[in-house]
Amino acid sequence: MRAVGLLLQKDLRVLGRSPLVVGAFVLYPLLVAVLVGLVVRYAAERPSVAFVDEDNLPRTLAVGGQRFDLGALIDQVSSQVDLVSLSHVEAEHRLRTGEVNAAIIVPPGFTAKLRSVASSPRLVLESSGAGLGGQVEQRVQALVYSLNLRLQKAYIASNLRYVQLLRTGGRGSFLGNEFDIVGLEKAGRILGLIQRQARDPVIAGEAKKLQTFVDQAQVALGQTGSSMRAVANPIRLETKSGSGRTWLLSAQVQAYALALALSFACVLIAAAAIAGERDENVLGRLARGLVRLGELVAEKITLVSLVAVVLGLVLAVVFGVAVQLGDVVGGEPWQRLPLLVLGLLLAGAAFGAFGVLVGVLARDGRTAALVAFFVALPLVLLGLVPSGSVPAAGWVSLAYPFVHAVRFFRSALYDLHPWATVARELGWLAVLALGFAAAARIGVRRLLT
Amino acid sequence: MLAAQGVSRRFGPRLALAPTSLEICSGDALALIGPNGAGKSTLLSILAGALDPSEGSVVIGASAPRLGWVPQRPALYGRLSARENLELFARLEDLGEAELAAERMLAAVELADGEGPAAELSVGNQQRLNLAIALLPAPDLLLLDEPTASLDPRQRRRLWELSGAVTKRGGAVVFATQNLEELERFASRVAVLLGGELIFDGTTAEFSASPESDVFA
Repeated sequence: MRAVGLLLQKDLRVLGRSPLVVGAFVLYPLLVAVLVGLVVRYAAERPSVAFVDEDNLPRTLAVGGQRFDLGALIDQVSSQVDLVSLSHVEAEHRLRTGEVNAAIIVPPGFTAKLRSVASSPRLVLESSGAGLGGQVEQRVQALVYSLNLRLQKAYIASNLRYVQLLRTGGRGSFLGNEFDIVGLEKAGRILGLIQRQARDPVIAGEAKKLQTFVDQAQVALGQTGSSMRAVANPIRLETKSGSGRTWLLSAQVQAYALALALSFACVLIAAAAIAGERDENVLGRLARGLVRLGELVAEKITLVSLVAVVLGLVLAVVFGVAVQLGDVVGGEPWQRLPLLVLGLLLAGAAFGAFGVLVGVLARDGRTAALVAFFVALPLVLLGLVPSGSVPAAGWVSLAYPFVHAVRFFRSALYDLHPWATVARELGWLAVLALGFAAAARIGVRRLLT
Repeated sequence: MLAAQGVSRRFGPRLALAPTSLEICSGDALALIGPNGAGKSTLLSILAGALDPSEGSVVIGASAPRLGWVPQRPALYGRLSARENLELFARLEDLGEAELAAERMLAAVELADGEGPAAELSVGNQQRLNLAIALLPAPDLLLLDEPTASLDPRQRRRLWELSGAVTKRGGAVVFATQNLEELERFASRVAVLLGGELIFDGTTAEFSASPESDVFA
């Protein structure tokens, strides 16, 4: 262990003398983390959608006596997706070539059917069925749902005007026919008059019955509005906006940024450090009794674990300060830092052991760094693929520390009860670290030839 | 002191060293000669314990000799200074007063400036540092792989003085060389390798009289 300590001091001194290299190891993965985050966010939030208007939609549309600003509605859609107005043929072509993720088609007669209130007009959504098609479908479904709600309100308001006419009486129209209605209020007054003036007690009695019915009907119709609204919307969703975390400070992004930074920095440093011993031709000198090869592997893994702790804490502190300055709520970055250190150590060990394995297989320093990058990149990207969408990607990524590091950091920093997740992911990281370290120990003799 | 018993080494399909037996005794100044690719460096690496033989073994005598190894290409950390290299290897050798040992070796190989990164030293000075690291443990057996290739005449003399001191105190020196003048001046014994096979092992006088003396012809 003394030899491990001496080599560790040497490597830390060498790292300290290479500020540009260390800076690149820190800044490059951060840059990658931000870029990946931006790409994922853009892809998730702004799919490209073709808009085909075959009905020449008017800017405003009157339905049930209410005016709808269709232009504003289309603008609303444009804020959620990248809406491109196209002809039907062009939309079909771009959908086939993947230039747009979906197409919303307004068929001829849409407006007329909507105005008639006689049947439901159709809005057609064509999606590519792959990639972001599902997301677009969900958004358009949400939009149609919201549009239906607005139309419902208009229809209810229109029907309520007829109910009001029944209660108060007056002049009305339906499907172009105009008519006069007495109304329940006036009918009640007339029936009261009949009761008072009728000499025949039978007629007065019947009139009283009718007046009672009219009174009850008036009370019942008075409740019609709220009843209709309640039936139309059995459950109402109330949306409140508060001062939650911004996207950049979200738990997800912090966890990914930490894991991405560690993944690249640790693997590259470990691979370059072990291969560097061979490049400097000192391995033979060390291996002839000064340092056991297992100790050399352990030393490189320890070095990278320490680098991971320092790098991870710097990132966590930067995020923590940003959270404080932004006065946002919803996490415990400071209280959970000690727990984070444990995860950083083990994640660093797992990434480091993988890097050492890459280094002993690649053998020379430059090749090791290049191979480490080329191997780490796809493995990280596999970890970014949602686990349900491509099962094979999920299985492969389980054998790489990235997903376990992400889960650990997310849970350790923000879950109310993180212990089960933290214990499981620590177990994974420990197993991966031991597995890669054992493989590296077996392969390290390659460096002596 | 040390004996190679039937050691051989393969690198993939290539046989770099055929099964070879060689005994090194106290007082030996053994010159390993042979053309490029003869297997000299491979045999020295195996004797140094830096490379495992594919077959055979290296047997150590009753008292394990302290060993110093000077590989052909300097084995040192380029980002550390000469002094830091010496101090690190002194500590790895468990020598105790590492700073003093480093200072002593810097003086022994006449490396005045031990502070800059070793990678920035001239090739000759790197070779001097390479030798200094090997001499740190005051070795009983010094293994040198073409040590004078990049040294100036003054430093060559210094190298042979330091090597001679090892044999004078009852140790042994094994050096690989292609310089017949060095062989004649400093060796007491010669081993000739050709195509990975040991074809001669005897005194310098026996070597001069043998047909193997024209191995470079």
